[in-house]
Amino acid sequence: MSKQDISVQKKELSPQEKRLLGLERSKSDGRVERLLAEFRNERPSIDIERGKFFTESFRATEGQPLVLRWAKALYHYAKNATVYIDDGQLIVGRAGKQGRYGILYPELDGDFLDEAIKALPARESSPFDITPEDARTVIEEISPYWKGKTFHEALAKALPEDTFRLTYNADAEHSSRFIVNETASFRSSIQWVHDYEKPLRVGFAGIRAEATAELNKLDEFSPIDNTEKKPFLEAVILTADAIVLFAERHAIEAEKKAKNASDPLRKKELKELAEICRNVPKNPPKSFREAVQSQWFIQLFSRVEQKTGTIISNGRMDQYLYPFFKADKEKGILTDDAARELLECVWVAMAQYIDLYLSKAGGAFNEGYAHWEAVTIGGQTPDGRDAVNELTYLFLKSKREFPLNYPDLAARIHTRSPKRYLHEVALTVKDGSGFPKLINDEEVVPLLLSKGASFSEAYDYSVSGCAECRMPNRDTYTSPCAYINFAAAVEMTLFNGKMLKYGDEVIGLRTGEVGDFKTFDEFLSAYLRQQKNFLKHAFIQQHEIIRLRSEHFASPLGSGLHALCMREKKDIHSPHIAGGIDLGYFEFIGYGTVIDSLAAIKKLVFEEKTLTLSEIKKGIEHNFEGYETLRARLKSAPTYGNDDPYADEIGRLLDREALDFTVKYSEEFGVHLDLRLVPFTSNVPFGKVVAASPNGRKAYSPLSDGSSASQGADVNGPTAVLLSNFATKNYDYSHRAARLLNLKLSPSCVAGDSGTEKLVDFIEAWRKLKLWHLQFNVINRKTLLDAQKDPEAYRNLLVRVAGYSAYFCELSKDLQDDMIARTEHVDF
Amino acid sequence: MYGTIFNIQRYSLHDGPGIRTVIFLKGCPLRCVWCCNPESQSADIEVGFDASKCLYGSGCRACAERFGRETTDGATLIGREELNRMTEKTAYCPTKALFSFGKIMTVGEALDTVERDEVFFGKDGGITLSGGEPFFQSGFALALLKEAKARHIRTAVETCGAVRGDIILESAKYIDYLLYDIKHLDGEKHKAWTGAKNAEILKNFEDLCRVFPSLLKLVRTPVIKGFNDDIIDDIRAYAASHGAEFEPLPYHAFGTKKYEYLGKEYPYVF
Repeated sequence: MSKQDISVQKKELSPQEKRLLGLERSKSDGRVERLLAEFRNERPSIDIERGKFFTESFRATEGQPLVLRWAKALYHYAKNATVYIDDGQLIVGRAGKQGRYGILYPELDGDFLDEAIKALPARESSPFDITPEDARTVIEEISPYWKGKTFHEALAKALPEDTFRLTYNADAEHSSRFIVNETASFRSSIQWVHDYEKPLRVGFAGIRAEATAELNKLDEFSPIDNTEKKPFLEAVILTADAIVLFAERHAIEAEKKAKNASDPLRKKELKELAEICRNVPKNPPKSFREAVQSQWFIQLFSRVEQKTGTIISNGRMDQYLYPFFKADKEKGILTDDAARELLECVWVAMAQYIDLYLSKAGGAFNEGYAHWEAVTIGGQTPDGRDAVNELTYLFLKSKREFPLNYPDLAARIHTRSPKRYLHEVALTVKDGSGFPKLINDEEVVPLLLSKGASFSEAYDYSVSGCAECRMPNRDTYTSPCAYINFAAAVEMTLFNGKMLKYGDEVIGLRTGEVGDFKTFDEFLSAYLRQQKNFLKHAFIQQHEIIRLRSEHFASPLGSGLHALCMREKKDIHSPHIAGGIDLGYFEFIGYGTVIDSLAAIKKLVFEEKTLTLSEIKKGIEHNFEGYETLRARLKSAPTYGNDDPYADEIGRLLDREALDFTVKYSEEFGVHLDLRLVPFTSNVPFGKVVAASPNGRKAYSPLSDGSSASQGADVNGPTAVLLSNFATKNYDYSHRAARLLNLKLSPSCVAGDSGTEKLVDFIEAWRKLKLWHLQFNVINRKTLLDAQKDPEAYRNLLVRVAGYSAYFCELSKDLQDDMIARTEHVDF
Repeated sequence: MYGTIFNIQRYSLHDGPGIRTVIFLKGCPLRCVWCCNPESQSADIEVGFDASKCLYGSGCRACAERFGRETTDGATLIGREELNRMTEKTAYCPTKALFSFGKIMTVGEALDTVERDEVFFGKDGGITLSGGEPFFQSGFALALLKEAKARHIRTAVETCGAVRGDIILESAKYIDYLLYDIKHLDGEKHKAWTGAKNAEILKNFEDLCRVFPSLLKLVRTPVIKGFNDDIIDDIRAYAASHGAEFEPLPYHAFGTKKYEYLGKEYPYVF
């Protein structure tokens, strides 16, 4: 008698599902809940102040060194931007109107801002509101200044014709073709993380003093010192002044509000706030509360400074805040609950900031107002010991109880992570909102060492953005990288360089008509030539991006917080900074789709000989309509994600071929461009240009996601998914970046104490397999279907999309369908 | 040494402690009227046919080509007896409308598959033999257990107990965790609903408890309305008196479809 016979586990609901169904009342209705209620249901609006003040300042500083212009723009903003103090908030500072807001970065997209603003409220993915008056300012004042000056215009002009053709459509906006896609024009930096520990240690007064001392040491006769180093140091000083001024204006506002406050408790809080904003971030914090406020000012100002991909990450918060936490607890002036409330006040502030993407490509990349200001917890100390402390557990507790998807919590795991930590991580995962994501020290640390880091730097890495890892004072690569649609390369192999969507235009290489391929190896080498051609153009793009960015972007705040930039007196966006490690990547989109397509062709056409390539082409041309048997056959071939060596060997080959390319060519420009499998939500828009594929995927539907299996193809359970991931990696190479792996689990998989134990076993297996990243969705498929039908009732339903959790109901229909289609691993 | 296996299921969370890989062996001495795994009853390889997946209507030529028939209505074309002779041909069905229940595997092949999952077993997980009744293929089951032990993989067995006493006692030397089904305490009622009396089942259980007192045992009872739902507490007490844990398992009707695939009638109406 087997378990199969007679077991129905009672359908378990995750705590999140219980909350939605009203089965479990939210535990408290305190300060944070009131703050949340203020903005929960409102549509985000656009605040134009950042765009307006930057444009005003840039008009006035033409011809000056760029880094200094940036600092002046920041100062202009700090002096003039509206200062807000929200009722009930303990942590202050926002870069836009009350409620959820997005801000403008016209240096990126100012030239088409006017058109984009007109189209925004109606956009399907991530819509925004803007007042008619603000819209007029954008259209008449901001946008005209930037026409002809933006980075993406310069980049489009710089790309050779054949690279351009794979990158953009031939329209005025240079809309993305989603084949070899650049991401450098809709953000001015790749995901990034600051060394927050330094400003907490010395304050911006300290950074200012350091820059001033360096300024005084410059060689007054040196042309380099005068034209490059001097403006850099002046910019760092002015930026320090700007952030301190911004904080002081909050102190003044708090005092004003305190005078008018009728509630004595709030009056007291406001007076304290005024005192705090006078002290930080200028000086080192005197308390945990001041440390949290100081950190928030820095990350907020960083958001004003530039658009960082996925928004500036928070670094190892449980490490750099711990001394303040510990000291206050020892003094008896801080409780765990009070500390958690302060952190949650920051999470509320983060949640109100929306990562506004105005280009269609940007919006499609990051659906659901996505941003990942990753907070790293756990891991190891710089001297290689376990880093978990009481604050680590407080972050996990906050994540279990705080109902929003901010911050994006990332838990570092290593071989000596304490059992208690692993259990609390598992318990938090079980809550159902997909946090924390897990990052594996056993994979990341050796790779960082292989790139030239010291042990202490490697042990001290921070998770940055979605799944990347950075060493804040050693990483120097900020150029956003290429996303490459290799499913399109399969299509071009079948159609001799063309794609059905683009008719007779030859976009890829002419690798031959399908009738010419006599063996699978011939077909495979034709595909690999297309793959190599995409890589070539991606690298050409990257070369031009690196070259051009320093003429368009500067980051005096980020550079002032970076040890190497201060030593070299160079902005972080400079093409090369001595002593830095340049960690970039290129993204392989549609990994599972390509593997499964090649496996089907190999098996059915060249081994079993039950199909021909011409038949497959015909089926693809008709999107398998009237070709259901053909499609069924294709789908019956071996697939990636099932621990099936037939498919996995193909996956390993594709991985290795791409690695060989980067081994050979990225050295040419002194950058580590490593293979990455992290799609955000871009597997959906990239799928929209690719016709049906030989694995039976229908035309223009989403490609496989990250290093996950094709939707619904993984039928052997999550252990097989992990083993396939392991089997397709080339561990003898060091040129690999993150591989993102999503697993959806039904709550019944992890119910009860034994469910937690089994989840810990699973996490430990993932750690032993040295896989980079893992994240879970603990949710019922039925819940997602219900939410799709009745979005109003499921407004608060969080799901894990890629590297982040988002509100399910704010995702587009396509992406919702994609989420539902991904196999749910029920317990067997 | 080889045997007939009808499924190897990975990431099993409720068939013994920890994360387990379950090997389902074909063949069972009982014929429980509620049985939800009809494909497990016969020790022979059988052919299933899922008419809803058959593409004949839309032009599939697989059956017609392979079996020399012209048709437009595949669902009724092939008789049951003929179907059972087609085990070799099921691989050609593109949609797996036609499929095999059962596959011959050697001990080494089965354990190689299990060993792939070893990294997930943690401190508790391992292999579980299930069925059918795993000891219906007694030599194969014993060989699997011995090989698992030789590879230092923890073992569990799910048994209905209706097997020869010497076989189960010999095998128990290689078992770390035993899931033992006790469906009823009354022999006549047991025979009426499962086709066999329970004397041997209870004797085997009591012998196991005596000879292997420290072997971890979990007694499980499928709760079947009209059969044993009134004596669950008695079985619980019986298990407790022999030092075993107890778990009642709620009935489900997931097996209904599988009767259809096999062309059989489901004898139990809930």
